[in-house]
Amino acid sequence: MLYDGKEMTDRARFERLALPHMGAAYNLAFWLLRSRSDAEDAAQDAYLRAYRGFANVQGEDVRPWLLKIVRNVAFRKLNDRKRATNVISFDAAMSDRVSGEPAAFQVADEAPSAEDLVIGAGEQETVKRALYALPPVYREVIVLREIEAMSYREIAELIGAPIGTVMSRLARARAELRETLTRMKTKDANDAM
Amino acid sequence: MQTMQCEQADELIGAYIDQELDAETRRQVAAHIGDCPACQTLADDVRRISGQVAAIGRELAPERLMADVRARIAEAGSELESQPRAPLTRWRGYSWLRQAAVLVFVCGLTAAAMALMTSRWADTALMEREVTAAHVRSLLQDSPLQIASTDMHTVKPWFAGRLDFSPTVKDLAADGFPLAGARLDYIGERRVAALVYRRRLHVVNVFMWPSADAIDGGPRGLVHKGYNIVTWTKGGIAYWAVSDLNMGELRQLQALL
Repeated sequence: MLYDGKEMTDRARFERLALPHMGAAYNLAFWLLRSRSDAEDAAQDAYLRAYRGFANVQGEDVRPWLLKIVRNVAFRKLNDRKRATNVISFDAAMSDRVSGEPAAFQVADEAPSAEDLVIGAGEQETVKRALYALPPVYREVIVLREIEAMSYREIAELIGAPIGTVMSRLARARAELRETLTRMKTKDANDAM
Repeated sequence: MQTMQCEQADELIGAYIDQELDAETRRQVAAHIGDCPACQTLADDVRRISGQVAAIGRELAPERLMADVRARIAEAGSELESQPRAPLTRWRGYSWLRQAAVLVFVCGLTAAAMALMTSRWADTALMEREVTAAHVRSLLQDSPLQIASTDMHTVKPWFAGRLDFSPTVKDLAADGFPLAGARLDYIGERRVAALVYRRRLHVVNVFMWPSADAIDGGPRGLVHKGYNIVTWTKGGIAYWAVSDLNMGELRQLQALL
């Protein structure tokens, strides 16, 4: 019975502090995994893990801690997927690419399920497709910066890298987005002719 | 001091736009962009793409997810009951000594951190408090509006003569952020424009005043007392959007303004 009371307050506290970040958690998982069903699984796993470790968490702002767990779960899933399909993915993106194919091509086969591929024209769809094509480590910094409006320091803490790494990863990610978008525009123009 | 080369600027332009550089580097990048058309184009592109990505907004979680997670937590809760939490008790023996040591250490850290804090951070923290207070105050009153109108051509002229600058007024109803109206507010010892947007049941206050910073920058996302804040500078105007709306959607609004 002793734990009953403690368990209830912990759960109430968890629900109050952690559940409001469901939107951010799911969004991050979705953009890492590019699949709605996988993102759902990842969000559920992450919340369960978070809950199990919650008793030792202090403070009110649990978002960074929670997103870190989401990120770990999602990357583990990506790794499993990579092992299953034997496709080069984010290890290639982690190393500095000096030559060879742009990353967009290297990871084109990283196998998001077909139903979740973005179909359509419109500007938003074009931007989504370009974001889809980025390697996961680049996708992640873009999503955290642009959609969640996190500072470099927050992102650095979340991904466990120095601020300088965040800066250069974002710079590369943006350069690739820019290239992809330009290429898409040229292609669309050619198709139209 | 050396002039900055394109290769250097390349790496820094994003951080420059995100307002993540120290004052000196920021000045150097600004000078370089001023002289180099190619880097100017790059900066414009990065800024545009940043807005485009923000405009996508969060991928929305399916509604059942919240219920599923709650259910799994409830299940896990009953499992946890049977496992006493051991690790914490190990510390108790000489915990007061540890606590004292930690206290001294933390005091030292805090002092060091305070000494390191730049005036800009301090300004930002102060502003965070002020805009959050203004937002909350606006909600405590009967209405956050002095002029209630969804028509930008009514709201914008209303400010003429009341402010020494012309604020940006856009009706974003088509994008899911209908304009509710506006009022004057007083922040940072000056009159500011406050535009009020609605998103479902949420109220968003967007405060605007002329910026001391001539360079466009941001957006930066902040959280203060549970309120989300996005701040940025555009066209010589400082913007502060405050709401209990989630950061993703607040960022979407920012991209539209």
